[in-house]
Amino acid sequence: MSSIPRKSLFPSAGDSWEIIAERELGGGGEEAVGQLQSWNLHVFMRPPAAPGSPHEHNPILPSDVIFLEPPQAA
Amino acid sequence: MLDIVIKNGRIVDGSGMPGFVGDIAIKAGRIVQIGRVDAAAERVIDAEGKIVSPGFIDPHTHFDAQLLWDGYAKPSIEHGVTTIVPGNCSLSLAPLRAEHRMKLVGMFNQIEEMPIIAFEKGVVWNWETFDEFLQRIQSDLSINVAPLVGHSALRLWVMGAAADQRAATAAECEQMQDLLRSCLEAGAVGMSTSFVDFDEKMQPVPCRYASTEELDALCATLGEFGRIVQIVHEFYDTDLTIARIDQLAELSLKHGIPTTLSPLFVNAGDFDGVDRIMARIDHQFERGARVWLQVQTRPVDISFCLEVPSLLFIRLPSWYGIIRFGSREDVIAALSDADTRAQLIAEAASMASVWARLRLRQVSTEANQALVGKTLEEIAELRGSTPIDVMIDLSLEEDLQAHFLAADMGHNDVAKVGELLAHPHVHIGASDGGAHILSFSTFGDTGHLFRQFVRDSGALTLEQAVKKITQDTALIWGIPERGLLQTGYVADITIFDAGTIDRGPEYFKQDVPGDGYRYVRDAVGIDTVIIGGAVSYQQDSGYTPAKEGAVLPGPVQAL
Repeated sequence: MSSIPRKSLFPSAGDSWEIIAERELGGGGEEAVGQLQSWNLHVFMRPPAAPGSPHEHNPILPSDVIFLEPPQAA
Repeated sequence: MLDIVIKNGRIVDGSGMPGFVGDIAIKAGRIVQIGRVDAAAERVIDAEGKIVSPGFIDPHTHFDAQLLWDGYAKPSIEHGVTTIVPGNCSLSLAPLRAEHRMKLVGMFNQIEEMPIIAFEKGVVWNWETFDEFLQRIQSDLSINVAPLVGHSALRLWVMGAAADQRAATAAECEQMQDLLRSCLEAGAVGMSTSFVDFDEKMQPVPCRYASTEELDALCATLGEFGRIVQIVHEFYDTDLTIARIDQLAELSLKHGIPTTLSPLFVNAGDFDGVDRIMARIDHQFERGARVWLQVQTRPVDISFCLEVPSLLFIRLPSWYGIIRFGSREDVIAALSDADTRAQLIAEAASMASVWARLRLRQVSTEANQALVGKTLEEIAELRGSTPIDVMIDLSLEEDLQAHFLAADMGHNDVAKVGELLAHPHVHIGASDGGAHILSFSTFGDTGHLFRQFVRDSGALTLEQAVKKITQDTALIWGIPERGLLQTGYVADITIFDAGTIDRGPEYFKQDVPGDGYRYVRDAVGIDTVIIGGAVSYQQDSGYTPAKEGAVLPGPVQAL
């Protein structure tokens, strides 16, 4: 049984979808951001942060695992 | 004169070696002889035909609050448990400044489903530091307690309101390290954190705002003492679980600490996921890391009534919102209003198969007594209705006191769960003892282990099962002088009948402060439980006044 993990990272301070896509996927843009979000529904689908929270417009928490590739085929 | 001699039992000593018939002598709280004992004793316990084993250790509990009103942590002891680990999942009741008390209560209520009224009626808040909390519980302890320090509690103490807003600064990390160090010196067994839990406002708990640098710093402090870190990971996702295993492995190797993650459930149709996770665990052990995966023995059962929020409704926002944040009157009004009811039924359609399988387990009115034990599908047929309508109607007829059971919701493949429990890198635990008191009984997992996986399926031998919940647990957690029947060790001993040990049926019991109820199970086949050399429980006569429980590993001794 393969135990190869999916490529992932822990966010750095200030990381957002755009910044991670730009840095890790060889260029940002809507398509790259959308791809990143689709690989990380555990973050993207998180309930919205309270108004006024530093995370109101950026759901990524410092402790999150952010995947940089899609799930492996079953 | 000896204090106690246990005669003629089959001694299964926790090492995994074959059991043997013999006697055990106890004096001044310790085992002083194993073999044939002829010396006189104050008390002789005849254990002929019974198993004599080390007391069981329950490594994943939330008894933090209960210990403030019940130093026995009932009914753990009567199930053979002599040591519990509270403070899991980033939540501990110390260190805790006065201004953060209600925040912690809110998190315990939201995450661990512990009623707020139990805190209001059962807790006298007279501590702040970890040492003060230990002194507070130690005066009344019958059971041993190996307490974890919650990462969320550390953050609240150091960062205040910023704890659930941002990562810590370098200076705040140092303050947290100092605080954690003081807790470990006072007697904490390790630290817990969480990557999944939400607080009372449905926002991530404070520890989830920690950077990897912060967690690394805290694990460095744990490394000074060789103490464990426990995490609750994203157990619903295989890839996330594997990522957390790798994260823990790096922390284990870098700081020389044991780590544990809990829980792992076996879900039908995803055995490949479980196998991938176990392959990764094996890989990390081969590298020399210690990443212990906790697996519970019992299948997932959830009971509920619509008066209190249940995690069963967590994916149904309208239902959960009304039950979680509304008053009792709000719930009744919502269910009684035709439009709202229709909206709720529509939202619940995605779980239609669950509602059909629900079983009515308890009602108050005489009129509905005949329906108890039937599934909602069966009742729907009788009434010419649908299962979800029946659930709502019965709840209204019973003034929200109709109780339903969702049995065998998962983790119920005996062969696969047995295979996991027997795996050398799996740590038997994750009972959640003392939590979720209105959803299911967290007691009796040890009895279930022996009945289901030793006696019935044979996944483990008796000796293997005993070792898993005694010596293995003591070694993983660094709990000294426990987990083994050995001369010189503390006499924590459970005597049980291998042919009958089990968990009894689940029932609703009123023994929570504020006249509250909880689901519990009685033990079956546990004869005698000895803690710190004193008999704490006997099947015939119940609990004794003995208060020999200790905080483990206890205060750090200067070298």
